[in-house]
Amino acid sequence: MKKYLLLTVILVLMCSVGALAQISISGRITDAGDGSGLPGVNVVEKGTTNGTVTDFDGNYTLSVSDGASIIFSFVGYVTQEIAVGGQSIIDVSLSTDVTQLSEVVVVGYGTQEKKEITSAVVSLDSKDFNQGAINDASQLLQGKVPGLSIYNKGGDPNGTPTIRLRGISTVGANTEPLVVIDGVIGASLDNVDPNDIETINVLKDGSAAAIYGSRGSSGVILVTTKQGTAGKVTVNYNGQLALSTVQNELDILSADEFVAFGSNDLGGSTDWYDEVTRTGVTHIHNVAVSGGSETTSYRVSTNFRNVEGILEESGFDQINARANLSHRALNNKLKMDFNFSLTNRESDFSFNEALRYAVFYNPTAPVFGAESNIGTAADYEQFGGYFQSPGLFDSFNPKAIIDQNTNTGDRKILNFNARAEYSIIDQLSVTVNYGQQYTTSVLGEYYSVNSFFRGINRNGLARRTTQDQKFTLFESFATYTNSFDKIDLTFSGGYSFQENETESFLVETGDFPNDLLGFNALENSGDLNTDGLITLRSDASPEERIIAFFGRVNLTFDNAIFFNASLRREGSTKLGEDNQWGTFPAVGLGVDMTQYLDLPLSTLKVRAGYGVTGSLPRENGLSKQGIAFNRDGGTENFVLVRAANPDLKWEEKAEINVGIDFGTDRLTGALDVYTRTIDDFILERNVDPAVFQVDRRFENAGELKTNGIELSLNYDVVNNPTLSYNTGVVLSSYKTTLEEFIIDEQMQANLGAPGQNSTNIIRVKVGDDIGQIWGPRFSGQVDERGIPIMVDLNGDGQVISAQDAALSPDGDFEELGNGIPDLEIGWTNQLTYKNWDLNAFFRGAFGHSLVNTFRAFYEPRIPGQAGYNIINSDLARDDITSARFSSYYVEKANFFKLDNITIGYNFNMADSKVFSKVRAYFNVLNAFVITDYTGLDPEPVLQDFGPVDNGGRFEEDNGDPITPDVLSPGIDRRNNYFTSRTFTLGLNVTF
Amino acid sequence: MKNIIYTFLMLFGIYVMNACTDLDEDLRDSFTQAGGEEGEEETTAATADGAFSKLLDGDAGTANHNNFFSIQEVSTDEVAVPAKGGDWFDGGIWVDMHRHEWKSTSEPLNNTWRGQYEAIGEANRALANPNLTNEEIAQVRVLRAYLYYRLLDTFGNVKIVTVPEVDAPQSDREEVFDFVETELLEAINSGDLSQERGNVARINEYAARGVLAKLYLNAEVYTSNARWDDAAAQAQIIMDEGPYDLSPNYSDVFSPTNADNIEHIWVVPFDETTGENMNFAQMTLHYGSQETFNLQDQPWNGYTTLEEFYNSYEDSDERKANNFLVGPQVDSDGDPILDLAKESNDPEFQLVYTPEINELFPNAIRQGGARMFKFNFKDGQRPNMDNDYPILRLGDIYLIRAEAVARSAGDWNNNDARMWVNLLRDRAGVDPFGTLTEQDFFDERGREMFMEVTRRQDLIRFGRWGAAWWEKPAHDNSNLNLFPIPLDQINAAATTDNPLTQNDGY
Repeated sequence: MKKYLLLTVILVLMCSVGALAQISISGRITDAGDGSGLPGVNVVEKGTTNGTVTDFDGNYTLSVSDGASIIFSFVGYVTQEIAVGGQSIIDVSLSTDVTQLSEVVVVGYGTQEKKEITSAVVSLDSKDFNQGAINDASQLLQGKVPGLSIYNKGGDPNGTPTIRLRGISTVGANTEPLVVIDGVIGASLDNVDPNDIETINVLKDGSAAAIYGSRGSSGVILVTTKQGTAGKVTVNYNGQLALSTVQNELDILSADEFVAFGSNDLGGSTDWYDEVTRTGVTHIHNVAVSGGSETTSYRVSTNFRNVEGILEESGFDQINARANLSHRALNNKLKMDFNFSLTNRESDFSFNEALRYAVFYNPTAPVFGAESNIGTAADYEQFGGYFQSPGLFDSFNPKAIIDQNTNTGDRKILNFNARAEYSIIDQLSVTVNYGQQYTTSVLGEYYSVNSFFRGINRNGLARRTTQDQKFTLFESFATYTNSFDKIDLTFSGGYSFQENETESFLVETGDFPNDLLGFNALENSGDLNTDGLITLRSDASPEERIIAFFGRVNLTFDNAIFFNASLRREGSTKLGEDNQWGTFPAVGLGVDMTQYLDLPLSTLKVRAGYGVTGSLPRENGLSKQGIAFNRDGGTENFVLVRAANPDLKWEEKAEINVGIDFGTDRLTGALDVYTRTIDDFILERNVDPAVFQVDRRFENAGELKTNGIELSLNYDVVNNPTLSYNTGVVLSSYKTTLEEFIIDEQMQANLGAPGQNSTNIIRVKVGDDIGQIWGPRFSGQVDERGIPIMVDLNGDGQVISAQDAALSPDGDFEELGNGIPDLEIGWTNQLTYKNWDLNAFFRGAFGHSLVNTFRAFYEPRIPGQAGYNIINSDLARDDITSARFSSYYVEKANFFKLDNITIGYNFNMADSKVFSKVRAYFNVLNAFVITDYTGLDPEPVLQDFGPVDNGGRFEEDNGDPITPDVLSPGIDRRNNYFTSRTFTLGLNVTF
Repeated sequence: MKNIIYTFLMLFGIYVMNACTDLDEDLRDSFTQAGGEEGEEETTAATADGAFSKLLDGDAGTANHNNFFSIQEVSTDEVAVPAKGGDWFDGGIWVDMHRHEWKSTSEPLNNTWRGQYEAIGEANRALANPNLTNEEIAQVRVLRAYLYYRLLDTFGNVKIVTVPEVDAPQSDREEVFDFVETELLEAINSGDLSQERGNVARINEYAARGVLAKLYLNAEVYTSNARWDDAAAQAQIIMDEGPYDLSPNYSDVFSPTNADNIEHIWVVPFDETTGENMNFAQMTLHYGSQETFNLQDQPWNGYTTLEEFYNSYEDSDERKANNFLVGPQVDSDGDPILDLAKESNDPEFQLVYTPEINELFPNAIRQGGARMFKFNFKDGQRPNMDNDYPILRLGDIYLIRAEAVARSAGDWNNNDARMWVNLLRDRAGVDPFGTLTEQDFFDERGREMFMEVTRRQDLIRFGRWGAAWWEKPAHDNSNLNLFPIPLDQINAAATTDNPLTQNDGY
């Protein structure tokens, strides 16, 4: 095809040459940035079809009529027009068209010019991203987008951050924004290396996201990866070497202090933090090759990451490869894009529990039993020689957990996407997009025959899990564009088919001859001969489908008034048979005021949008009864486990967003105010078991309302060739209230064992804010038995603080804090001086509280807990000898931190024949934190996974993963990874 | 080229038309009734087996923590869950339960309500299946009546729902009593129940009569109308006609190998593989006792016996050694078990269970209290025990008959009553009563029936519910004879056509 195309072009050119040739000119077209030759540049005699393109080195020759003007144009560069004026050699240096690049914003199913956008959209490119050893693409954005909250508690390299756009957008499934990578909906952010990302656009409000339907109801993050450009082949190398250290530890007693305190001395002295943490060494390498001709461009990259966490053994090895190919054919009428990416991550999860036990394991206990003053070495043989204390609840030698056991997983993500766009006529194009994404995880856990943690009395325990997910996307849409007089019109309409299938398999079995083969030889399990010890599960989801038809119209009047409207009709398999389809409209209007008012501003745009999106539950089959096979009682039977809800319908989110964009030469900014109402939210709620047989069922249960405000400001303080300083701040605040709920008020989020079960600490109440931490207020006084005295809040002369009185009028309970911050702030500073650059990014959150659960359990000086170490924070009081949840363990967690600081140097490569760009930099992540919070990490906790103890696992009784509770923010549980500080040396070379 | 495009568009159009109509949800890994695969509805229908299996379910709370067993036992003078420092404080709910200060938000109360209705629901589903045999119908009706008897006993005023997903208004306690009585009598009189011993995990005529005897024994509490003669009559039929005998040995009735014990009339057939949720070893043992029995999981150190109750047994009483674990503890090799969190005033690290407990809260000694050992543990015990749990056994029927006859005669020293009580004392290896007093009978019933969820009924029936005992003050509030209806349930029912009204005094 390409050959014929070329032939056609040549024939056309030859004809022109024959007809019009008068004088011959030639020259070389170069990139103004780096002086390299630009191939594929269009060189056309003005007003004619006479033209050519430059060759591989940027050279051209063309015969033109005398007195003609030549137009040099190339996508992404500023077009130049030069009069021949008798010259025979015309060399041109083209500069990149910054305005053109930055003003086109990718939106759903198309692009828009930035000025046309009527909704809250934030666009960031690589210079705006967070820097340093960043392993997760979402971290690039942390703190940069007003209203986008990204919190990754601690420094777990295998952890996944919690991402929220404008707070809670649903209590159901997709609480996290939809990710769209190069137009592929639902692509995994884990399958794109941060180094390969060119731009990220965040669609914040309903009117922008509505075109994506239900999956966009929590906002949309559009990722565009770097593409090849026509021109010579460019090779880019990025390398990083990073060291991670423990940033914060909880204050506990040393062995000497512990003994002095009167606790049991076991004869040793161990710093358990030292035993289980380390300095993690990480290296990252990225090589990318890109290039292309006028019709074909490509970019391929390979990323290698070897990451070590601060917890012993934790980390991963990852290879990621990405290939993007773009080709134009049929006279540029057909554009084809192929994207392919593969990620293979081999993780060692290690055991976060080791960090938990390092906090309160007896500091006088030695690592090995033989060194203790209790028992003889022989007593500890059953534990493989490690010291253990079987008489204690929830107490395991942290070092033994890591040394004896294995917890690993391999995950492969493969994504393929092909897209074809065909211009039927100039005004009408059709796009077809097909893609699939496969995610396969194989996990393995093995607990030694001597492991007290999870292995004891099972004589070795192995668990294997596989999870397989297939996502298929097929979309097709047509776009019609035309202009009439003062009106520009774009109409798009299309169809979307999305299907997700998951399958998983789990086996757990024990009793092995020894530890040598780990989980790789399950056939050796002695449990094969014993009834009831092997756990087997296999699961397969239904084919979860979303099918949608959508249309959108964009109208521009007078190049100053912008209107758009969209409508999406969407169906899902997850809802009741008569309620599967929903209709979701959106409208938006924007006015460029500078066209009509004489203002000292370069930008002043007022915009307003309204959009409705739907949301679906995470679970399948909710509209149908669930029947489980059951062998209880030695009989085989089928019992009901889930009541059907055939009336289950779409949860709907309606959002109104009003915004203003403003700017002068040096100051730019945007202010957005929004209100969103989530109606018929889908939540598992208590129902009458007398009627439904089970006491919980998923229903459309209530209404949530969020009001919020977001501001971003950017100011060029100094801007000249040697010195520039730019500073920017983003601020956001929101509040979510429960407008309606089937139950007026309820308590949830159990604190847990030891001793604080049935202690629910979050109140959910109709008419009030979400996120209330609810409990008795500590008076500061302690009674003679060491029990904290609570305040008589209702003034009835008696203090009733037992948990079962939490909602009773007699009870003395109050709101002790709220888990959601009042204000989140990000402050960017970019300074360049000659070849040096400095980037400092500060981030903070204010107004939120956290329940410091480590303190709540282990800070009271409980006589019966003499076997555990105790927390010794600044708030510790020796007179409190009884653990009782109260305001004393709820702390304000305001913080302000230097999140990211980078200093870099750009070497002058003007004379180099090999290198075009070399940059070296030094970066610190999490440099310092200012906070009064005494726990590990003051960052907000936006959802709750509940308590776990004594070697238990984060899973439901039936082995399913726990659905996090988004209505219970603010609980800093005892299982969070320690925070880390990371120092990175980086090198970036282009040649 | 154009043709290719048109063909493509046409094919695409056909594809879209087909795909866009297909939003069927095919559940690939779970069964469903309506809307499932062909034939699925019949093959997965509810059965009598399914209904009976619900008694084994943790939600029914027969022998596990935080449910029916817990509220029936911790509220009495035979079991307590002391708060050991921070351990087991649990927001004070177990202290409240012991001190009769429970609230409608108490978790075990809610679990009890929910679990009984889950089981009732499965019984209703089974009864809606037209393929049940007459015997199965009668068995499931008795099962359902028994579950309503549990609700009658604990909450009193409940909804009587008999058809799946068809709501009913709240009934008062007398109406629930009448329903239970009528259902039992109809099942008995139908002639569909076997008189053979058969499978004691299911119900025969004598099991139905046993439930009826228990109902009549407490009729005065439930309805203000005593039915002593009816209770005695039902017990007599079981004793005279039933294929049961006293087990020669008390401990055999409860041991891990107690299946098919001759004394059992109706049991819940707990099993470590096919009938999980008997968790007494976990609930009562100190963490260190894991080493004694080589328990698969670490136990929880929660439930203990009150010292006074422990001391109510004579030392020679075989039931004392069977029912409790006390003294220094050793591992399975005979070596002392160490408790590294020992109190600073304890001389040794060794784990020693002492009958006395220093206080209920806040800082009960971790090793304090005799442990519940009536349902013995076996070596290598899994968290789910193997022992069958008797809902009805002949020993209980002896005591029911003795009490009913004595009360009917107005004479606790009634010869027949004393004889039946002494048969049980004889088996336990203690001297018979020469004369029998109300106090003697009450104490004897306690010793015999420990852990069999009769103590709360007994205390109420004997008018001692308001009496003071260890760490529990006296009260004279008769409203406390019923638990409050759980707040979650009142909330859940508030949106139905049949809301629930809270019990008096709450």
